[in-house]
Formats: sequence, C-alpha cells, structure tokens
Amino acid sequence: MSHRCFRYGLLWVLVLLGARDAAAQVWVGRSGPRAGAVEISAGGMWSAGQDLAERAAALTPNPGTGSSAFDLFRSEPTLEPVIGAQALVGYYITRAFAIEGGMQYSRPTLSVRLENDFEGAPSLTATTDITQYLFTGSALYHFGRSPRVTPFVAAGAGHLRDVHNGNELIETGVEYHAKFGVKWWTGRGRGRLGLRAEGGVSLRTGGFNFDEDRRLVPTAAISLAYLF
Amino acid sequence: MRRLLTLLTVLACVAVSSEPAAAYLKLGTRVGTGTVNLRWDKLPVRYFITNAAGGGVSATQLRDTVDRAFDTWTSVETASISAVFGGMTQARPNDDDGLTVIGFVNQPGQDRTLGATSFLVDTVTGEITEAEIFLNSFFSWSVAAGGEANRFDVESIALHEIGHLFGLGHSALGETELRNGGRRVLAAEAVMFPVAFSAGSIAGRTLRADDIAGISDIYPSSLYRSDRGSISGRVTKGSQGVLGAHLVAFNLRTGKLVGGFSLSQDGRFVIAGLETGPHAIRVEPLDDGDVESFFDLTLGVDANFRVKFHDRIVVVPRGGGTGDIQISVEPK
Repeated sequence: MSHRCFRYGLLWVLVLLGARDAAAQVWVGRSGPRAGAVEISAGGMWSAGQDLAERAAALTPNPGTGSSAFDLFRSEPTLEPVIGAQALVGYYITRAFAIEGGMQYSRPTLSVRLENDFEGAPSLTATTDITQYLFTGSALYHFGRSPRVTPFVAAGAGHLRDVHNGNELIETGVEYHAKFGVKWWTGRGRGRLGLRAEGGVSLRTGGFNFDEDRRLVPTAAISLAYLF
Repeated sequence: MRRLLTLLTVLACVAVSSEPAAAYLKLGTRVGTGTVNLRWDKLPVRYFITNAAGGGVSATQLRDTVDRAFDTWTSVETASISAVFGGMTQARPNDDDGLTVIGFVNQPGQDRTLGATSFLVDTVTGEITEAEIFLNSFFSWSVAAGGEANRFDVESIALHEIGHLFGLGHSALGETELRNGGRRVLAAEAVMFPVAFSAGSIAGRTLRADDIAGISDIYPSSLYRSDRGSISGRVTKGSQGVLGAHLVAFNLRTGKLVGGFSLSQDGRFVIAGLETGPHAIRVEPLDDGDVESFFDLTLGVDANFRVKFHDRIVVVPRGGGTGDIQISVEPK
C-alpha cells in the first residue's frame, strides 16, 4: 500500500516539475493566466437534494366495495443533499478561454418515507447509498484582467455513472451544466496557488432517476487550484 | 409413478374453501422430502373446450373468451409459453381422458367455487401431462366487453384458472375483509389472488406485475434471464425462521408490486422476476385469505407477527440477485 502511495507521489511530483518547465516561458514577467497555462484543482463539492416522485403502492380496488382507489401504503423518496470531492484539469487556450475536464465523486443517500400502511405497519424511512461518478468536460470564459481575482463562467457536459449495491447495478446518464465562479490567486508569476469557488446548475438525464424527465440539480464547489 | 393431484382453486365472492394443496407462488408437488415445481415440459399446451353452454354463455363464446385469456398469458414477453386450441369436444373437465379440457360444469354443491383447475402430473419430474378447468355453471356468467351486473366475467376467471394451468399458485397480493361469514376482497394486485372481485367486474382481465413475475419465473425467456433480478433473504422472529411470511417488493420507480413467501422453516425467501432498480420491502403475516389457499396446512405457517417495512432500500440488479436481506419481525 505504501509502495503504491510512493509511486503516485513520485508521479505527481514529476508532472508538476515538467509542467513548471513548460509553463516557465508563459509566466515569466506576467501577472495573470495566459494562453498555454495549465490549471489543476481539487476540492469539495456539494449537490442539492431532490424530492423524487411520490408513489402509492396501489392495489386495484374491488368495484363491489364502491371504492375507486386503494393504497396499501405510500412512499415519498428523496435523494439527500451530498458533499463529495472533485478534481479538475484545465488548459488556457487564450487568456480568457480555457477548457477543462474533471471528475466528481459523491455518495448520496436515497431515502424513502414509507407511511400510511393499510394494515398499520409502523412508518419508517428506508435508505440506501449510491456511489456517483460524474466525468465532465467544460469550456470556461474568464472576465477582467485582475491578476488576483478572476470571475468566470463555464458550461459543458458530462457522463453520469451511478453505482448501486457494490457494482451490481450501474446506471449511466448524460449531464449538462452551467456555472459561474471566481478564482482568487496568490503570489505572482508562475506556480501560483489559488482558491476557486463556483456554483451552478446541473441538468441530468438518465443515471439514477425516478422520472423520465430531466432534472435540475443546484451544485456548488470550492477547490484549491494551482496554476502553472 | 403417476398420481392424480387435484388442486381445487377457488374463486368466490364471499368465501374461499379449497382442498389442501402445495400451492405457493409456483405450484409444487412433494417428491420424497423435497418439492418439485409443476410445469409443462411439452409446449404448446393443447386444450379443448367442452361443447356445452353454461351460466348464460354458449360454448362458442366460451371458446373465444378462453382463447383471449390464453393469449394474455402467452403474450408475456419475459415468459416462453404457448398454447393452441385443439377443438371442441364432448369430453367434460375432470374426465381422466388424456385431454386438457376447459368447460362449464354445474356444481351447485360448490356454491363458493367459481372455477377450479386440476392436474395430472408426473410426481417425479413435476411435469404436467394433463389439466382440466371447470367453470361452475351454478353461477351466472358474462362475456360482455364491459361486463354485466350480477354476472361473473368469464375472461377474468379463465385468466386466473389458466394461470394455475400453467403452474402458478395463488398470490397473496390483496386485502380482504371478513363479511357475512365469508371473505370479501377489498383490493388486489394480482390475477392470481384467490378471492374474486364482485360480479360484474372485468378488472381481472389484465395481468399485473406479480402475475408476470410468477409466470416468467416458471417459463423464463432469455429477456427474463438478462433483464430481471431477484431479492432473497430471510425472515426471522427471535432466533427462529418464519415460514409463510408474505413479502411484497415495491418498485419505487414504477409502483409495481411483486409478492413472494418465505418458504422454508428457516424463513428463507426469494422474490424473483423483478425489474431493476430500488425497491421497498414489506412483510406481513398471511391473513388475507385462508392459509390453505396457499399452503399445505401441515407445514405450520406462522402468522403471529406484526406487519413491517424493511429499513433498507433494496436495489435489484439486472440479471442477478440482491444479497441476503435479513428482516426481523416481532410477535403480535
């Protein structure tokens, strides 16, 4: 295990060193992102919860009873808000435009309130966890010329991969997102550390879902960024 | 080698009484210390219609209606079953003549029995070699498209009995109330529920998820094997298994309900034929039908526990089974 960590660590250092050499020509004497710069970031993300479609465990009523509906019980499912992790790698095509790819990992909890049982079963909330991976590609536009604070907007698409029950059921989907944020850079020149905060919405189809319709999920993230 | 296993499947509007039979979700017959599920090994099933009217319905109308009911079962895309009409016959159901015969028989002594299915089975292999369905012409019947007041719907009852003919037992997916010394169904979500809806209803013409899961489990198609999954586990009370607990898997996405039973002394159960995705599980004692409509009374079904939900959502995988679900129930 430690051997594996060491190898990853070594690889990471090599990547950083290599990038510093390549970026040196770009950054010398300059105070803001420029074409050819590479940005990596990693941090936490938050995804809003979602009330899913309520359903009744409906039986077909006997017309002879005069009843038009018969619910054995009712269910109110919810996908709970979740905090996860994200990592991004971006490349500046120009000072303002960049492209980036990334991955988000989270483990949202699906819960369902089971209640109003016809035979008096005690109401309870049943749960399960889903492991959610989101692989994204985005285009970013940065505003302003400040070397320290850089607002940006981004839009892109992603591949959603929801894994249930220890890989026994995998559901995939498509994601589209739009977000805005700000990057705050420390230091000057090459090798700058920064803080990146963003918020937006994620439009998802497929994956784990209760309805065929697309669903809109508010998201937010905060990351440490490194620009070289 | 062979014996006649008579299974009287009762559909009555006020009460149910039936011969003891090994009737689970899938019908079975005991062989030694084990149970063999009943099924047709040679398909299509070739059936004949008794050339006799009954209960206000002609033999021709009965033939057309039974034909539709067979079509309903054989159209299930996750099941590989087939049937073919062999012709009209003077033979009556329950004649031991080597023919599978469906027809009206006047049985005024069975005034709570709308219809019944009996089999000739190979008790070693469980293969059904002959089956008979009688509809009791003591009652008034209807084949009208929209049903008729005070007449039982031939198609609904035939659909139920043909489910037995293919090897399905009763489903407990319904609720009843005791009334006038009998049992009245309040609601059901399976054609194979043992108590019929009131006269005039045609709601029993449509197969439900529970029926489809059951027939597909006996005669699985390739689609069934690749696309459907199962939930298995154990129901316990204290340290003991519970036999005969009725479990319902509720698909949180579609609202479909599929039932099953714990079928061993240690409380083990399997609910098969489920669509993929998250399910809630509910377990209840068998109290919405006479126990003998489902189980051999000598088995010792335990109905002394409280209904409850399982506290975990169970996600059914595609083409496989979900792990060992443990549900502990409390005595009443």
